[in-house]
Amino acid sequence: MTLLLLLLIPLAAIFLIMLRCPAKPVAVWGAAANFVYSIVMMGGYDTTGSAGSKIIDGYQFVIKYPWLDLPGLPLISFHLGLDGINAPLVFLCTTVTLAAVSLTPATIKRAPEFFIYVLLMSLGALGAFLSLDLFFFFIFHEFALIPTFLLIGIWGTQNRQFASMQLTLYLTLGSLVLLGGILALVLWSGANTFDIVDIQKQLANTALSETDQFAIWPLLLVGFGILISLFPFHTWAPGGYACAPPAAAMMHAGVLKKFGIYGILRVAMPCLDPSGAAWAYWEPWLWVLLLGNVLFVGYTTVAQKELPLMLGFSSVMHMGYMFLGIATFDLIGLTGVVMLMVAHGLSAALLFAIAGEIQQRTGENRMDQLGGLAKRMPFLATAFVLGSLASVGMPGLANFAGEIMIFFGAFNRINFGAYEAGQAVPLMIVVILAIWGIVISAIYSLRSISKVFFGDLPERYAEVRDLETFQERAPYILLMAVLLLLGFVPSIITSNAHQSLSLMLGGGS
Amino acid sequence: MTVLFDAPEIWLTVLACVLLLGEAFTGVRSRTIGQFAVVGTAVIFVVTLLSVVPPGGATYWSGSYIWDGTAQFFKLFFIFTSLVVTWMSLTFESQIDENRAEFYVLPLLITAGMCLLASAGDFMLMFVALELVTITFYILVAYQRQVRASLEAGVKYLILGGLSSAFLVMGIAYVYGLTGSTNFSLVFGVIQAGEITGPSVLPLAFGLLLVLVGIGFKIAGVPFHIWAPDVYQGAPTPITAFLSVGSKAAGFVILIRVLVDAFGLVQLYANYWSLLLIIMAAASMLLGNLAAIPQRNLKRMLAYSSIGHSGFVLIGVLALAGSGPARELGGTAVGIYLISYLIASLLAFVIVAIVTQKESPDAIHNYAGLWQRSPLLAGGLAVALISLAGIPPTVGFVGKLTIFTAAWEANLYSLFWIGVAAAVAGFYYYLGVVKTMFWSKPLDTEPIPVAPSLRFLILLLVVATFVLGFFTTGLQVMVGDLVAANL
Repeated sequence: MTLLLLLLIPLAAIFLIMLRCPAKPVAVWGAAANFVYSIVMMGGYDTTGSAGSKIIDGYQFVIKYPWLDLPGLPLISFHLGLDGINAPLVFLCTTVTLAAVSLTPATIKRAPEFFIYVLLMSLGALGAFLSLDLFFFFIFHEFALIPTFLLIGIWGTQNRQFASMQLTLYLTLGSLVLLGGILALVLWSGANTFDIVDIQKQLANTALSETDQFAIWPLLLVGFGILISLFPFHTWAPGGYACAPPAAAMMHAGVLKKFGIYGILRVAMPCLDPSGAAWAYWEPWLWVLLLGNVLFVGYTTVAQKELPLMLGFSSVMHMGYMFLGIATFDLIGLTGVVMLMVAHGLSAALLFAIAGEIQQRTGENRMDQLGGLAKRMPFLATAFVLGSLASVGMPGLANFAGEIMIFFGAFNRINFGAYEAGQAVPLMIVVILAIWGIVISAIYSLRSISKVFFGDLPERYAEVRDLETFQERAPYILLMAVLLLLGFVPSIITSNAHQSLSLMLGGGS
Repeated sequence: MTVLFDAPEIWLTVLACVLLLGEAFTGVRSRTIGQFAVVGTAVIFVVTLLSVVPPGGATYWSGSYIWDGTAQFFKLFFIFTSLVVTWMSLTFESQIDENRAEFYVLPLLITAGMCLLASAGDFMLMFVALELVTITFYILVAYQRQVRASLEAGVKYLILGGLSSAFLVMGIAYVYGLTGSTNFSLVFGVIQAGEITGPSVLPLAFGLLLVLVGIGFKIAGVPFHIWAPDVYQGAPTPITAFLSVGSKAAGFVILIRVLVDAFGLVQLYANYWSLLLIIMAAASMLLGNLAAIPQRNLKRMLAYSSIGHSGFVLIGVLALAGSGPARELGGTAVGIYLISYLIASLLAFVIVAIVTQKESPDAIHNYAGLWQRSPLLAGGLAVALISLAGIPPTVGFVGKLTIFTAAWEANLYSLFWIGVAAAVAGFYYYLGVVKTMFWSKPLDTEPIPVAPSLRFLILLLVVATFVLGFFTTGLQVMVGDLVAANL
């Protein structure tokens, strides 16, 4: 078993499509093979974490060999590894890819190109999640931007030209700011390598000086923040997702965007001392910005009139909770972040897919023009209600497990953190306001359900059809099933994530 | 003295003379001359590739001719550029009315001049080689005499080229007057020994400044860039490619020679030139990339973007000619950035030369829907532009990464952030062209035929872009000697 196969399967599918094999079947079979293989990898994951030889520094299935040693440039190695933090994300990626390619009609214009670009996005995301070398971590993500640009630009709707350009330029800016942070980390750590594990080992011996940490912190926060659509750097996201074809929105909002959060967990937390002065200085900024995500963007979401735009804003809003989880700096809270990344990825992908389906079937995306569609489309209505409830955080669905752990983590820190009397008050206010966000998300989610699916059915939609065959329904069933499964048995993800996070935090400080 | 027999300058000149005589006396067709030029250049490229640089380098004629890693790197660079330029001239032939054979022969003389430049160890030899390059370029830029834009470009290039030579020669006079020598190593010896003191320091720094101004014209760095857009737009496309790749790299090799070999690490002068180069780098990156945004002509846009790329290379030069651990990385960065620029730029210009039309030549709207007319051309140009923008997994990204790392290592933080802003602006206009090619409606749906040999050339450059972006061991070999020679 090798992690390389996870990258080679999409690559092989891309080559087959280039060689004029029928695009959709190849893409679906490729994605399905990768999905199955990712489950097999999970099955081979050593959950006890005890078996010695297979595990290197807490990572399993490690592949590592030197890649590039240019004179003067820190060593770059090709280093892949799986642990409890990225394994769920790999699973998320293969699941969403499978759903995205299989719900795209084979008759879409310029079909071979479309499927190639979606698979390239999947490849970029998988590579970024698996890489344990900052160079590859960075380039796999950056490289996925071009297919995103083309997908939105060629197959998008409405204002696609502007949206694709805005999204790409904004994300490029974020990547380059991030590059500044990465270079600072690599060069100032003194490790003379781009390898994340080696840098962490080096920093465990000699931590970065306070001034260095002061400089690196905002670079990483803004760099990753732009990629995650942290308030106020979020403006690229809603418009971009609203214009994107459903498959691209699913892949980006569901999977690629998680790269930023994952990066904070993988790079920023272990390398910058969380009990140090730099973290303490910048953390209140993070609190304010995450409240911006939850409250400001939350209220903006309520005001939206178009379904895809509303979903775009809502996906931005939920990023606030992931930042809250990071700000808890508590083992339970961080485990919740991993859980929520997967859950949000699945629910966002589900909702974007349905929004695309509705727009395609009715030719309408304004919510007040729609209505009563549940009568004509019971399956889509069920799926939409389930997805919305998941994103609100209904118990029994995966998002609930993530959010509740984040709040528990936050209160853990307030109660048991190293606070003197009264010092925990600001954080407590942040948490209470963030919990209010759940009410906001319930308002807009339920309103959209009632506007789109209930009420009177306009005459013109009397003939609108639901998804009828199993083939059409399968991608939605897949996403819903995984949401439910993880909602009832979150330990599939949390137990491994908990283990890896405790190892990382224990080793990092 | 083995070097004298395999020195490419000699063989390029011989080849040029043979082809000129052959054209005059045997009456072979101009196209055959062109094919001979391509094959001959390819042979010379291989010979230069195989010739061995003695460790530590060697000098001839009392130090005025240097044969070291830097020289070999740049010679290969120039010969390869010339090879591709002649190759693409074969398709451009129809655009030229008369005297077609000289169009293939003159680039050989330019290449000989550039190769000599890469080995110059003396201000005089450097000046003579540079004039050989520049004067031959005057002819080539104005080659399409029936096209007004070409004539205008020729005149502009002549006047500004003359001006820059005047600056250079004036600067050389100052340096000679104060140090008593034109030889780089002797100049360095005088400066390092501290013989220039008190009131003589400022005039010498002024001389260096004038030399740098002259070089600034060659690399088209702001504020000495004003000639570039008009000349690039007006010149025949293969010549534009030669100017933007070869001539620019020629400017960089003499910049490196003057800064590293003649003025070296002498802190007193580094204070002067480093400030000048920092300003030039920042201004070039910003102006080049911002001014490229509103351009509606692809060649003009590439001209502005090439000004921006000069700014990026200058960061590497600053690190290379600076002190401390950044030196090694600076050499790597300059080498890799130039290689990536060479491949991507030539690829772009080959495609521009094929797509060129008589009316409104090279306007970006001619490229609308190119994807439907020729997937190869659209795909190739997209790869070139993506590499110029610095997006992985192309070699352009490795170039940008090494330059950015060098900036960080050399503590040039302000240049790093200006570079970031410039790179984002670069994305905007490069992707704008990609957008036009891939999803605008074509004005004309007729497929564009591509000759098999050019098809091969395009594929070769595309493959090189990705292979060097992925398997960078090749880059390591290419720049190794360059870096070692400048440590």
